[in-house]
Amino acid sequence: MKKTLTVNLGGTVFHIDEDAYQLLEKYLSNLRIHFQKEEGSDEIMNDFEQRISELLNDRIRLGYEVITLEHVEDVIKRMGKPEEIFGDDYTEERKEEFKTKADPQTAAKKRLFRNPDDRIIGGVAGGLSAYLGWDPTAVRIAMLLLMFFYFISIPIYLLLWLIIPVARTATEKLQMRGESVTLENIGKTVTDGFENVSNNVNDYINSGKPRSAVQKIADGFVAVVGFLIKVVGIFFAIILIPPVGFALIILVIVLFAIFIGLIGGSIGLLGGGLGLLYSLFPFADWSSVSAYPETTLIIATITMILAIGIPLFSLAYLLCGKLFKWKPMPTAAKWILLILWFVSVATTIVMGINFGWPIIDNQGWHWNSYHPIRHIRFW
Amino acid sequence: MNAENVKSQMRKGILEYCILLLLKKEPAYTSDIIQKLQEAKLIVVEGTLYPLLTRLKNSGLLGYQWVESNQGPPRKYYRLTEEGEAFLGELENAWQDLNNTINHIRNN
Repeated sequence: MKKTLTVNLGGTVFHIDEDAYQLLEKYLSNLRIHFQKEEGSDEIMNDFEQRISELLNDRIRLGYEVITLEHVEDVIKRMGKPEEIFGDDYTEERKEEFKTKADPQTAAKKRLFRNPDDRIIGGVAGGLSAYLGWDPTAVRIAMLLLMFFYFISIPIYLLLWLIIPVARTATEKLQMRGESVTLENIGKTVTDGFENVSNNVNDYINSGKPRSAVQKIADGFVAVVGFLIKVVGIFFAIILIPPVGFALIILVIVLFAIFIGLIGGSIGLLGGGLGLLYSLFPFADWSSVSAYPETTLIIATITMILAIGIPLFSLAYLLCGKLFKWKPMPTAAKWILLILWFVSVATTIVMGINFGWPIIDNQGWHWNSYHPIRHIRFW
Repeated sequence: MNAENVKSQMRKGILEYCILLLLKKEPAYTSDIIQKLQEAKLIVVEGTLYPLLTRLKNSGLLGYQWVESNQGPPRKYYRLTEEGEAFLGELENAWQDLNNTINHIRNN
């Protein structure tokens, strides 16, 4: 008994044995890699698929219900193996391959890439673990711990994200793992679905064709836009994906505000910071704040709770999701939370300044004079 | 030096010429072209032909249209363009020259 797959080949549906499918898939992938650099490669591949479809259809007409390995082998014999089709070019390519890696040791030389197939944020951990041969989960946990204890590792992560290139082509993905770059391996990588050999922008840019000046300018433009998108992406990633980093940033900001408050620094920030402290610590002196209507205070408290609570909630959700395999939050929910968070933060800041300002004004802020911080019993 | 190698180089050299010749007589499906070339022992495997046809089409020497077939999906039906005919003319001359040269060398 054998498992069969249903494939659409050149517009005809075939039932095909699993092993036969794998052989055919590998064959087509190999051809595709060879034709990648050629103009009209898609059309050539379509011709191939169409013809293979015709040949297989002949078998069906003979009464076979399922395409077997034997049929596919026959078809490949008829169409020709890559070395038969490409003849001298193919053997030359091979020689080139051997030349560039005369020493098998250097052949398997590893390069550090970000791994686009194993990523949570930027693929840095995935790439590192592929490079080091470690378990990606272990690397992630280690990085997370580092981020908790040393804030400096957050900007370092972002820097790595910017600096380390992403492994785009099959070749690069093999180098990332330190596997030697042979046609068989590339074929395998492609077959494994590591690389989507389609005519998308990246493939085009990475193809080995010599490029005209206009194309180079366009490439530069793509690179610059890509960089900008990346920067924006980092910003959103901080907010949306790793609530850890985000919670830490909030923590740093709050600590910073308290610090500023204690040394009596910048007045504007102080106003915001103190207003924040007032809402946080209801047992402080509320005299100037209580002049506000109750609803304002309630709103202030709610926005404050949201401003701090949303990142914490997202963090908790993410952790629970990882631990208990919950479904990831729907994108819509993420956006709603994000917008809600922005609104809350903005409201909190505005209200903080509104609350804080009169206090500073009234107290005539001075280190030695009465100041509200003293009323908060830290010790 | 391998005789087979040289022979295959020779066949390769006249492959485009032969395709244009075939299509000058009458438009044909890809499979017909393949069959005729295989009969003439000009190609061994079919795969050689598809990139070649696409290349010829992209340089404007050939054109094709999709024609319905009684069995399966529509197939490409190739024909020679005007440009292709001019190109073929040049190749005919070149072939004549070659022929003359070889005869000349042979007979002297």
